[in-house]
Amino acid sequence: MSQQATALPPAAEAQHEPGYLAVSNVTKRFGAATVLDSLSLSVGRAEFVSLLGPSGCGKTTLLRLIAGLLAPDQGAIEVGGRDLTRVAAHRRNIGVVFQNYALFPHLTVAENIAYGLRAKGVPKGEQAKKVADALGLVRMEAFADRAVTALSGGQQQRIAVARAVVVEPSLLLLDEPFSALDRKLRETMQIELRHILRNLGITSIFVTHDQDEALVMSDRIAVMNEGRIEHLGTPSEVYARPKSLYTMEFVGQSSRIGGVVTGGRDGIVEIDTPFGLVRAPGHFLTGSKVVVGVRPEAIAAGEGPAGEYNTVRGTVAEVIYFGSRTLLHFRTAREGDRLHVELNRLPDTVAPGVEMTVRWRLDDSRVFPAPGGADR
Amino acid sequence: MALFGSLFCRLVLGLVIAFLFLPILIVLTVSFSSSAVFAFPPPGFSLRWYASLGKADSMLQAVWLSTQIAALSTAISLVLGTLCAIAITRGMIPGAKAVATFMASPLMLPGLVLGIAFLQAARDFGLRDTYSTLLIAHVVITMPFIMRTVLASLSLFDFAMVDAARMLGRSYPAALWTVLVPNILPGFVSGGLFAFIASFDNYPVSIFLVDVRTKTLPIQLLNQVEMSPDPTVAAISALLILGTIAALIVCDRLVGLKRMASI
Amino acid sequence: MTLARDDLAVMPAAAPARWTFDAKALIAVPGLVFMALAFAVPVLMLVGDSFVDRDGFSLAGYRKVLGDPYYIGIIGNSLQLACITTAVCLAVGYPAAWALARIRGAWQVILFALIFLPLTVSIVVKTFGLTIMMRRDGIINFLLVNLGFIERPMRLVFTEFSLYFGMVNVFLPFMILPLYSVMRMLDPRLLDASASLGAGPVHTFLRVTLPLTMPGIIAGGTLVFSISVAAYVTPGLLVGDRFMTMSQVMAKAYLNIRDFQLGASMAVIMLVISAALILASSYLVRTPGGERR
Repeated sequence: MSQQATALPPAAEAQHEPGYLAVSNVTKRFGAATVLDSLSLSVGRAEFVSLLGPSGCGKTTLLRLIAGLLAPDQGAIEVGGRDLTRVAAHRRNIGVVFQNYALFPHLTVAENIAYGLRAKGVPKGEQAKKVADALGLVRMEAFADRAVTALSGGQQQRIAVARAVVVEPSLLLLDEPFSALDRKLRETMQIELRHILRNLGITSIFVTHDQDEALVMSDRIAVMNEGRIEHLGTPSEVYARPKSLYTMEFVGQSSRIGGVVTGGRDGIVEIDTPFGLVRAPGHFLTGSKVVVGVRPEAIAAGEGPAGEYNTVRGTVAEVIYFGSRTLLHFRTAREGDRLHVELNRLPDTVAPGVEMTVRWRLDDSRVFPAPGGADR
Repeated sequence: MALFGSLFCRLVLGLVIAFLFLPILIVLTVSFSSSAVFAFPPPGFSLRWYASLGKADSMLQAVWLSTQIAALSTAISLVLGTLCAIAITRGMIPGAKAVATFMASPLMLPGLVLGIAFLQAARDFGLRDTYSTLLIAHVVITMPFIMRTVLASLSLFDFAMVDAARMLGRSYPAALWTVLVPNILPGFVSGGLFAFIASFDNYPVSIFLVDVRTKTLPIQLLNQVEMSPDPTVAAISALLILGTIAALIVCDRLVGLKRMASI
Repeated sequence: MTLARDDLAVMPAAAPARWTFDAKALIAVPGLVFMALAFAVPVLMLVGDSFVDRDGFSLAGYRKVLGDPYYIGIIGNSLQLACITTAVCLAVGYPAAWALARIRGAWQVILFALIFLPLTVSIVVKTFGLTIMMRRDGIINFLLVNLGFIERPMRLVFTEFSLYFGMVNVFLPFMILPLYSVMRMLDPRLLDASASLGAGPVHTFLRVTLPLTMPGIIAGGTLVFSISVAAYVTPGLLVGDRFMTMSQVMAKAYLNIRDFQLGASMAVIMLVISAALILASSYLVRTPGGERR
């Protein structure tokens, strides 16, 4: 995993030591609003975990609690077996890359990086060497004496990373570090940053509202909603086997069809939907209102064998062409339902208004209780 | 636009500037006059009034007192006002908007009213020391200037920098000192300069607080103008004007005049 | 020395709506306690003093001030002084500020500095210069005689002419700077747009320029009015006892005749005038059409 030699700490084992960062039953309220509700999270050493969620889900609050910039109302935070709950932010040795980088405009690039070393009383000579190494790590050697205000967004981000890791923090927190960059640069920087952090073997918590970022960067993703973690898992688990409708809808595209369970056996339920009978793995009582979710790319054109596949027929409403793939939106009879199909190759006959048969595997369907209570 | 033909407006602007400078230039001219009366045009050139300044003890004492009071009150306002402005900007205290208005409100009140209020309160509290009474009153006078400029500077300051400094191992006070202070220095310079001038020039508050031996410069100057106006007063006034210009130029080099004036 | 106080206080940009106690908030305590004790308490005590005499609660001070034509006349003098000063400053300052806002480049910086500099010169020094100018052998008489307007020097000191000349001289920059800061933001294309729609210059001025610069007029007018109604040094030196103002009465009440209730009552009346003015101007600025900046 680590081929590149650096002067900074060597890469850690690929195996993550569990419980390196332990957040236990943390609750945080602002006035009457409970922002985090008895939240727990365990992160292994050298792991890269994303906190993914919309604004207001509590992800930034959790980050600031771990950093020590906020104090929890209840619960504990440990890093490497040390209880940090009551430790002041400046004594935690946790690095942070801030959203707008928070570089110090009155200092040069090198002085920015040296700031933490000076605060820690690292001898002058050693400071210079560490600053040079950190600049090398982010490939910014030529910029040491520049003013940070003269740097581009991507360069500023590199300096912010260098400044945070040069003090060898026990944990690195990243607060939406790509939000200030344009799309192209963002993709390059994501891969580069992941590479740097893996090589350093540094445990990282990454806050983002961008699911693509989270999928690309993370070892594991914690999908957050209203102060709780909805789903904690690897990117492929979160994407392919979401534990909740919320996760399914927040991460990636999805089709969703509402219906009522009419029966089932052997772990397969039958659901009556506007598109006809649909079967999917799950355990629900007959009569329960549910939602069936499928990823658009798991749906194919044409019929499939009845035992393994669901086959439905619908009318194409819109055809959206992306070049390498095409997205079809089907007409739906009910508010909130959505049948989106992603095809790599488009049958010539497809156009809005055309009737079409599509299929997907039973295993690719997820069933969730309908939002707003199962029995209404 | 055509109604206010630009030529007409420019002419007015030119006349306005001449009009504003008239009394200032007169004072400068008179200070170099060889005559003891203020006749115009002056009969000849001389530096005798500047030479006589060395003997004007009460005047020099007043200069020294005003300098001390202005410097100390500005410094105290800078510290107290900046701390308060940080709490206001960060919403650490309830009613931040009302608190900001309160801290800046001495500027809104007539100076004489403030002066009378200080005089009465000093009597009622038994504060007899002229120097400390003056100092306390001048901190109140200078506070609004600091609040206005520092609040304006802080509204442009990214407080994530303070968090960044803390995460890099500095305590909260040390983070403020090493990151916030250098970045809002222009606000300190311009606010401090105006606070200093406001204190140094203050007449209506100080007049109620001075005593026979402890007089600030504006009081001493006005006394002299009323009692025995001679070009010595013009000479000290000329030096004050030059000192002000020098301070403005230095501050302009530091932060830019436009920025200072646009508070 | 006062600066443009057009906006009554600079407001914090983004204060979080919710408030929870934070130990860091303690940094505000020294400043707040100081201002409460050294500023709020004395002003409140002064207001209280105006309602008491040796025997306790009494309205004697107000009865004396508001019941005596002499003091009513003095309040009138102060208001007249402030009104005329403000009107002249506006009439002269408006075109000057307009020119200043329309000039670009290095000249703007220089001219701005020239308007700004007199503001930083001590009022006592400027008024001293003014008294020298007003002398029988001063520059004004010198110019008037030499230009042939008058035959022999006339008495200017202690006349109302010298008073208004001096007041405008001292307070004019306080009118120009707020006007300038509003006019500078005015997009000149608006005027071109108005002209291109067939509006004449008078129409453009009344319908476009004037409403758009109204916040500056209100700010500058409030500022000049409130400081000239309370002016003390300039009227004192330029007209003295011939034109008594509220400030003169207040100072005399405390420094000479020691009638504290009279002084306190006068001070509270002035406080009320200032407060009413500030409230009125902030109301005017907030109403539609007079929006800030």
